Amino acid sequence: MSRLLATLLAGLLGAAVACSTGGTTAGTSGTTLNVLAGSELKDIEPLLPDLQRATGYQLKLTYVGSLDGAERIVNGDHSQLAWFSSAKYLSLLPGGAERIAAQEKIMLSPVVMGVKHSVAARFGWTNNPNVTWSDIAARARAGELHFGMTNPAASNSGFVALVGVAEAFAKTGAALDAGTIDPGPLKDFFSGQALTAGSSGFLATAYVQSQDTLDGMINYESILLSLDQGSQLREKLDLVYPKDGIATADYPLLLLDRSQRDAFDKVTAWLRRPEIQTRIMQSTNRRPALPEVKPDSRFPSQVLVELPFPGSLDVVNRLIAVYLDQARPPAHAIFVLDTSGSMQGSRLDSLKRALLNLTGGDTTITGQFARFRQREEITIILFNSSVYQTRDFTVNDTSSSSPDLAAIRSYVNTFQAGGGTAIYDAVYAAYQVAGRAMATQPNRLYSIVLMTDGENNVGRDSSRFLADYHRLPENARAVRTFAVLFGEASPAQLQQVADTTGGTVFDGRTASLSQVFKDISGYQ
Amino acid sequence: MSRILGLVLAGVLAVGVVVAIVASLSGTFAPRQVVRVQGVIGSEKQPFFQDPAVQAVFQRNGLDVRVDTAGSREMATSVDLSRYDFAFPAGAPAALKIKTDHKAKATYEPFYTPMAIATFRPIAQLLVANHIATDEGGHYSFDVQAYLALVKKNARWTDLAGNTAYPAGKSVLLTSTDYRTSNSAAMYLSIASYVANGGNVVTDDATARRVTPLVAPLFLRQGFAASSTEEPFQDYLSIGIGKTPMVVVYEAQFLALQASHDRALTSDMVLMYPTPTVLSKHTLVPLKPNGDRVGRLLQTDPDLQRLAARYGFHTADPGTFNAYLKAQGVAAPPQLVNVIEPPAYDQLETMITGVEQLAKDGGTP
Repeated sequence: MSRLLATLLAGLLGAAVACSTGGTTAGTSGTTLNVLAGSELKDIEPLLPDLQRATGYQLKLTYVGSLDGAERIVNGDHSQLAWFSSAKYLSLLPGGAERIAAQEKIMLSPVVMGVKHSVAARFGWTNNPNVTWSDIAARARAGELHFGMTNPAASNSGFVALVGVAEAFAKTGAALDAGTIDPGPLKDFFSGQALTAGSSGFLATAYVQSQDTLDGMINYESILLSLDQGSQLREKLDLVYPKDGIATADYPLLLLDRSQRDAFDKVTAWLRRPEIQTRIMQSTNRRPALPEVKPDSRFPSQVLVELPFPGSLDVVNRLIAVYLDQARPPAHAIFVLDTSGSMQGSRLDSLKRALLNLTGGDTTITGQFARFRQREEITIILFNSSVYQTRDFTVNDTSSSSPDLAAIRSYVNTFQAGGGTAIYDAVYAAYQVAGRAMATQPNRLYSIVLMTDGENNVGRDSSRFLADYHRLPENARAVRTFAVLFGEASPAQLQQVADTTGGTVFDGRTASLSQVFKDISGYQ
Repeated sequence: MSRILGLVLAGVLAVGVVVAIVASLSGTFAPRQVVRVQGVIGSEKQPFFQDPAVQAVFQRNGLDVRVDTAGSREMATSVDLSRYDFAFPAGAPAALKIKTDHKAKATYEPFYTPMAIATFRPIAQLLVANHIATDEGGHYSFDVQAYLALVKKNARWTDLAGNTAYPAGKSVLLTSTDYRTSNSAAMYLSIASYVANGGNVVTDDATARRVTPLVAPLFLRQGFAASSTEEPFQDYLSIGIGKTPMVVVYEAQFLALQASHDRALTSDMVLMYPTPTVLSKHTLVPLKPNGDRVGRLLQTDPDLQRLAARYGFHTADPGTFNAYLKAQGVAAPPQLVNVIEPPAYDQLETMITGVEQLAKDGGTP
């Protein structure tokens, strides 16, 4: 009895001490640790209640893109912990390594290529350990392989794949340096890219929606295995592990707040317990980081040669720039912008700022990668009671003195607010623009951004829009609409447009329009 | 109802706090006042400092030792040492630099460990067949001069004769930590610069500058390197031969796993010793009086020496170390004869900044 009481007291005292440590907030049943996390870690959430029971710490995950997260950490984000698929980019950023007080790898997942079984069988790639990145590039160049990959400037899986491909093509055997980035073979390889996305999870969803027109995608092994185990795929994906090398995400949990060292040690010790590592493997299809827990039979046993990662930020940034400006299929971004009367004043100003940032006004790292890129086509459709102006721009020069960007800037500065809100007429006009452009330029990656601050009150209604949309040619219908909620826009109306077209909704009420447009650029 | 429960809990909590305060005042739990001591250490010693048995010895002596980890060169340059009672880098050059800068009176060298290379038996045998390593029965020795010749011509694994074990197109390279921050990389640089300098320790800046381009590819071709020695060793253990076929480690890291019969270590994993090698002398620099107490205890307390042996460290008294390994059924590590001294901190610094400059100038020479 007295022993029980003592235990109880010790527990309560421990909780009291834990609650009093700096930088954290006391919850009802433990201490909350804020964690800046990559979106693919959503699949870890089912483990968190058990982690809290065992350690007393509640992890509260806030999801951001990997590059965005790295930039926030360097800029002094106050989260106690961070958890991304990789800490390498952060470590390369000036001031980044210093922000990591401790790190511990939790789980592993290589970035590989999933190819539809029939396609892989036709190419002789099924269970073939000798396929190389060059083999994949050759099929892409020949127009026989259309794949999805995330934007390397926004998401780690695309970034890691880009490094792998570039290194394999450089054929030096060593880590990439600036002089060995060869755009030629990269262009061949990425001529097969038919789908982009700002996150690995969205890429998987988008692949499922467009699976009939694609042959595969580059993503984490864990995501590909999960899709294969599920029922959403009409055709299973065979996993191809290129022989010349792959890169593995190692999901380090990072301690940012030194005063939380004890918490960090307890949380990582729990996550690295053998039975938890096994559970992670079974529930997420990621490989255990704890060496004594061996990967089970869901993973192939072949040796995966790991490619070195570039050692300098300059090389990494140059590689991303080569991808965006030269190697990837160029984008055609269609912006459908509400200039109704309610946009008058600060709302119109934020819209202008968001667009001006894309022409070079945002000099942050993520801002630089989000800018309009070389070869990009931009269509701006302005609407109020009707579509009243459509302007096309082509960006070839991206320098600060570029006349292409200056033209966009001076146009944006003419925007004026007035009139009603004909959302559906405007979106439909965007689809007609996309359809016409596709006839002459089928290899661009098309996207529509719809920004509105109100509900539809004139022109087509939603049912008429849906009927017209479904009569569009298949390729135009495949263009996704990314809808930006602003002001008094109707979440339901925008969600319907996004769901119908395979896009998604961004909230410009809680985040700035500049941030939202920057995030959306990862999907364009 | 819930309010009553809340009151009861608050009462219980208050009682708990009182009990705890009384207990600590009356000395039931601790013999005397325990002072908190804050140290900054190389990450390789973190498991040792976190060991409850080690903590208990410190507590028994009135010390509550807390540690942060940092790379050795970071400790000597960028870490704000005013927050700490002691610094405990893994190598003598950084320790001597800290000692001089902070006017510490003494240093303590409670344990040391030779630099080694963790690899896999098929890799070791492939290196033996290509005259880069020799089988010494139980361990291998790794010919640094032959290795430098391979790196000079940027040999790939596929260039090695008779290679069916590891047909990878990437360069033959030892994986090390970040040469700019970590002691084990500085020790690796010490070995490589000695060999590149014709079998002499680099003792002046002119020689250091001459040798720099010869050793730079060892580091620059690796690309990104981790800042702590534990990281690539963990990659070796969990990701394995595909990522890190050969990794520069402290012998202690490997021995500790062997001695504890850790399941992470498979029968394929073997140690090679570079010829020549250097000893990493873990050197504690006291910055405040309480730090001095930690250093003295580590060097003299028989329990702490025994515990250090558990982590694979050679102790001041070799008997402690050998007895422990024997009790665990682990063969004593070889008596290394070809052991050199690392260059002084300033020459290491010249080479490190030189490699850094080459990296900025456009990469691999």
